[in-house]
Amino acid sequence: MPREVEPSQNEKQFFTKALSENIRIDGRGFDEFRELSLEFGDEHGVADVRLGKTRVLTHITAEVTSPFPDRPFDGLFTITTELSPMTSPSFEVNRPTETELLLSRMLEKTIRRSSALDTESLCLIAGQKVWSIRADVHVLSSDGNLTDAACISIIAALQHFRKPDTSTSGEGVTVYTLAEREPVPLSLLHHPLCVTFSFYPPPAEGNGEGEGEITLLDTTHLEESLRAGSVTISMNRHGEVCQIAKLGGVAVDAVTLLHCTSVALVKVKEISAFVAKRLEQESRRKDVDGKMKTLLSSENARIPG
Amino acid sequence: MPLDTSTYSLALLRLDGRRWNELRRLTAQISTQAAADGSSYLEMGNTKVICTVTGPAEGKRTGGAGTGGGNEAEVRVEIGIAGFSGVDRKRRGRNDKRISEMQTTISNTFASSLFTHLYPHSTININIHILSQDGSLLAACLNASTLALIDAGIPMRNYICACTAGSTSSHSANDEAADPLLDLNNLEEQELPFLTVATVGESDEVAVLVLETRVQMGRLEGMLAVGVDGCKQVREILDGVVRRRGKRILESAAV
Repeated sequence: MPREVEPSQNEKQFFTKALSENIRIDGRGFDEFRELSLEFGDEHGVADVRLGKTRVLTHITAEVTSPFPDRPFDGLFTITTELSPMTSPSFEVNRPTETELLLSRMLEKTIRRSSALDTESLCLIAGQKVWSIRADVHVLSSDGNLTDAACISIIAALQHFRKPDTSTSGEGVTVYTLAEREPVPLSLLHHPLCVTFSFYPPPAEGNGEGEGEITLLDTTHLEESLRAGSVTISMNRHGEVCQIAKLGGVAVDAVTLLHCTSVALVKVKEISAFVAKRLEQESRRKDVDGKMKTLLSSENARIPG
Repeated sequence: MPLDTSTYSLALLRLDGRRWNELRRLTAQISTQAAADGSSYLEMGNTKVICTVTGPAEGKRTGGAGTGGGNEAEVRVEIGIAGFSGVDRKRRGRNDKRISEMQTTISNTFASSLFTHLYPHSTININIHILSQDGSLLAACLNASTLALIDAGIPMRNYICACTAGSTSSHSANDEAADPLLDLNNLEEQELPFLTVATVGESDEVAVLVLETRVQMGRLEGMLAVGVDGCKQVREILDGVVRRRGKRILESAAV
C-alpha cells in the first residue's frame, strides 16, 4: 500500500509560523468554511457537494425488498462509502483504510443512529415488503474535511430524493412509475450535519495569555495532516446533538468542547439554510412556470377524502 | 419502555439503587498475567475486562509499512469480546466497525499520552479481553489499559481515566429538571442519552469524548461536568490500586 506523503519540514514550519500569527495558509478565518457549492443531478437523489477542492457525490436509490425478520415494520437504510484510488493513492479498492472506517462510522452514527430517516415510513407490508434506501457516497476529490462534506451531500440528496408512489391492496403492492404518479419525498425527521474541529497546540512563544489550543474549522488536507487532535460534532438546527466523537488525540479543556458545540450550532444553521435555499431553487428550476403545482393540485382534488 | 425515567423521578434512585452521582463498584488488580509485560484486570460493576500489554518491542511488520517505522512507537490495540460476555451469544465478524472504532480510539488516546518518542521503530501491543459487558465498555477498556501500561512501566504523561455520564431527559423533551447520571449500566445505556468521557489525570482536559445518542444541547454541560467529576473519582481509585501494588513490591523486596 503506498503511504500518504507526509508534509515536508518546510511546509510544517510555514504552517505553524503562520498559525502563530493567527493566519491560515489560504487566508481564511479560523472558523470560516471554504466556499460551499451544492449541485443536484437530473435524477432525483443525486447531490454533488464541493467544499473548496473536496468533492463528494451521493446517489440515493430505492428498491423493494423483504425486511429483517426481527424488525418487520422497519425499512432498510444503508450508507456505503467508497474511497477510490482516484481520491488519493493511499486508498485501495476493497481494502478499507482507517479513514474510510471512521468516515462510514461517523455517517452511520450521525444519520442512521439518530434516526434522521423515518424507517417505519418505508414499510409497505409488515414483515414482507419494505423499501430499501441506499445512499452511495463517492468521494471524487479529497482535500480535507471529508466527513462534513459527505454529511452535507447525504442530507441534501435525501431531501432531494423522491421514491416512486405505491398503493397496497390486500397482499399486493403496486409501484407506480414516474409517469403514472408523482413520486413522493422521503420522510425525514430532522437534518443532522457534522462540523469537525481540528486542534493545534498553542504557539510555543505564546502571547503570554496562557491561552489554549488553536481551533480550526473545515481544514484542508495539509492542515488535517498536521493537526494534534480533532472532534466531530453532529447537530441539527434545533440544537440537538446527535453525536460527538473525539477519538483520542490531544486533550482539550472541557469548556473548549462546550464552546465548540455552540459554534457548531451556528455553522449547522448556516449550512442547513444554504441546503434549503438550494433545494428550493432546484425545485423552482424544474417547476417551469408553476405548471407542476397546478398539475399536482388537480390530482389531489381527484382523490376523495 | 422508559422504566428508568419513570421510577427515577419518584425516589431519585436508579434501577440498581444508586444515586445520580455514584459510581458502581470499581475494583482492579495489576500484574494478573505472568507472561505479559504488563497486565490488569478491571471490574466496573458487572463489566469485566482483562488487559495485557506487550512491548515496546520490535514491530512484526518490517519495511516501514505502518506508522511504526517512524520515530515514535506505534500503539496497536486488539479487542476481543468473549462470546459469553453479553446477554445473547452473538458472533461478531472480524471487522465489526464498532469494535474497530474503539480500537482506534484507544490507540489514538495512548499514542498521545505515552512518551512514544522514547521508543522509535517499535510497537506497543495492547490486548483487551472483554469477559462481561454491562455498560461503560469503552471506559472500562481505557481504565484497564492505563493500569496495564503502568504495570508494563511505559512512561506516560498522566493517568487516562474514563467513565460514562448520562441524562434522565429524553432527546425530544427540553426538560430543565433532568438530572445528569454518573456511570451507566447496560439497561440505562439502552434507554438514556449518555457519553463516555476520558480525562488526563486530575485535570479538566478531555482526551476522549464519545456521544452516540441524541440529546439536547443544554443537557450536555451537566453531563460533561458530572462525567469529568467521575473521572477524578476513577483516578483516585486507579491511583490507589497502583500504590497498593507498589507498596507490596517494596515489602516483598525488604524481606
